[in-house]
Amino acid sequence: MEEVVSPYGIGTALVLGLWAYIAIVVMLAPNISFHEPIVAGAVTGMIVGNVPLGLAVGGTLMIVSLGMHTYGGATIPDFLTGAILGTAFGALAYDGNVESAMATGLTIAVPAALLMTQLDVFGRAITTVFIHGADKYVEDENFRGVTLMHLLGQLPWGLTRGIPVFLAIWLGAGPVQRFMEWIPEWFQDAISTTGAVLPALGFALLLSMLPVKKYWPFLVIGFILFAYLEVPVIGLAIAGAALAALYSHMKEGEASA
Amino acid sequence: MPNNNEKKVTKRDVWRVLLRYMFTFQWSWNYERMQALGFAWSIMPILEKVNETKEDLKLALQRHLNFFNTHPPMGAGIIGAATALEEQGAEGEAVDSLKVGLMGPLAGIGDTLFAILTRPIIGVFAASLALGGSMGGFWLMILFGLFWGIGVKIYLFWQGYRRGADIVQDTAAGGTMDRLTTGATILGLTVIGGFVPSILSGVTTPLEYTETVEVEGELTEQVVAVQDVLDQLLPYLIPVLLVALAYWLLRGPLKWSPIKVLLALIVIAFGGSLIGIL
Repeated sequence: MEEVVSPYGIGTALVLGLWAYIAIVVMLAPNISFHEPIVAGAVTGMIVGNVPLGLAVGGTLMIVSLGMHTYGGATIPDFLTGAILGTAFGALAYDGNVESAMATGLTIAVPAALLMTQLDVFGRAITTVFIHGADKYVEDENFRGVTLMHLLGQLPWGLTRGIPVFLAIWLGAGPVQRFMEWIPEWFQDAISTTGAVLPALGFALLLSMLPVKKYWPFLVIGFILFAYLEVPVIGLAIAGAALAALYSHMKEGEASA
Repeated sequence: MPNNNEKKVTKRDVWRVLLRYMFTFQWSWNYERMQALGFAWSIMPILEKVNETKEDLKLALQRHLNFFNTHPPMGAGIIGAATALEEQGAEGEAVDSLKVGLMGPLAGIGDTLFAILTRPIIGVFAASLALGGSMGGFWLMILFGLFWGIGVKIYLFWQGYRRGADIVQDTAAGGTMDRLTTGATILGLTVIGGFVPSILSGVTTPLEYTETVEVEGELTEQVVAVQDVLDQLLPYLIPVLLVALAYWLLRGPLKWSPIKVLLALIVIAFGGSLIGIL
């Protein structure tokens, strides 16, 4: 396979790294969709001069990520970084055909999104330093320090996206592609299995916040509706609302009886 | 610092809480206490006004640095109510119980409304526009983000602020809020019950075994997929067991931290794939 040489200079690499930094910090707050694959891909497309490709890569990743959500702070594949790298590298393969450039982009975007989960965990763990710093500042009655700790908390988040994007773009597609070729298939299988299993933690975290011991029958009903009756998502929500109303009426009946 | 009681909380202070919350809330999110620092820093303008001594302010901040995690747009209602309570000089315990009592149910409602109901629908629509090369998909996602990230936060913050004390009283008296959180819990659990198998449906076993069966008097070798056997026992058995295991590790006697559970799941998934059972 012909080696792809990155024509992107250090300037483009810096701008894309900065975009990755901003998008992940905006996801934390105010959370106005900058990290959503469509938006991340389209803005990357503007930067590298191929908006239709950015929309296509982002649109595909958006569908892949449907239903994925950081329940209780669980790590999910990083489709933000995936969309940026996929669009930027896909644009190198662009010869007037969006579809083939998109396929090239996706072969980089999906593994990148999975590999980036490691850095997401790292970033979330490192930020612990800042809350310990805040504890110390409060103890010392230095309240400006609390402000500083909170605002600096964005650094591990932003840098765990900004630096990999900068390096990947700057050092070019060649090493990325060689790395992907070097990874044996069994290793890639194991990575994607891991990606598929991880949402279990998110559900468990969310459940651990809810009074499951009291209301477990509703969990079972939801399971049966999907697993045996194949009720789609909206149907589950409607059933849940009906059950909630029913439960409320029965409670009121008990109270007035 | 002069000690006087004239330092009244102004509308500007309340707005500062909202703006801090809206634009920076999760910047210091971490595994240990999640959104605690963001909450403490957001409500600081009020704490600085109502606590006359540095010692009081220190104690108030330490209270707010306890573990906190919820769905940020929904949480705007909680910090609105907490702001009102702190401003009225409520007991620290009342504010804490408001936060702890509401964060779980509101996380469930928020996750359901955002990630399970609205995002997938808007997302599919936006993706189809984007795949057709239209910037409409981009703008649709931005509008969706502005709705949740700005609109819902402003609305719920002021709702919580104006009705803060009522909400607490209702909760204590088992009133409206109690019914609402019960309703939301039921809705949330029903939907989660369905989403566990749906989202984890890719987790299956490739294991097979061969057995010799007698077909019309002849012995033949038959390959049996273990997954088919499991599906007859209970569909999506592996996803259910994994979630149950993660829940047990978090809430059972071991009380593992999320990061430890995460590592355990990675070991199980990675190892399971290597030895060919996942």
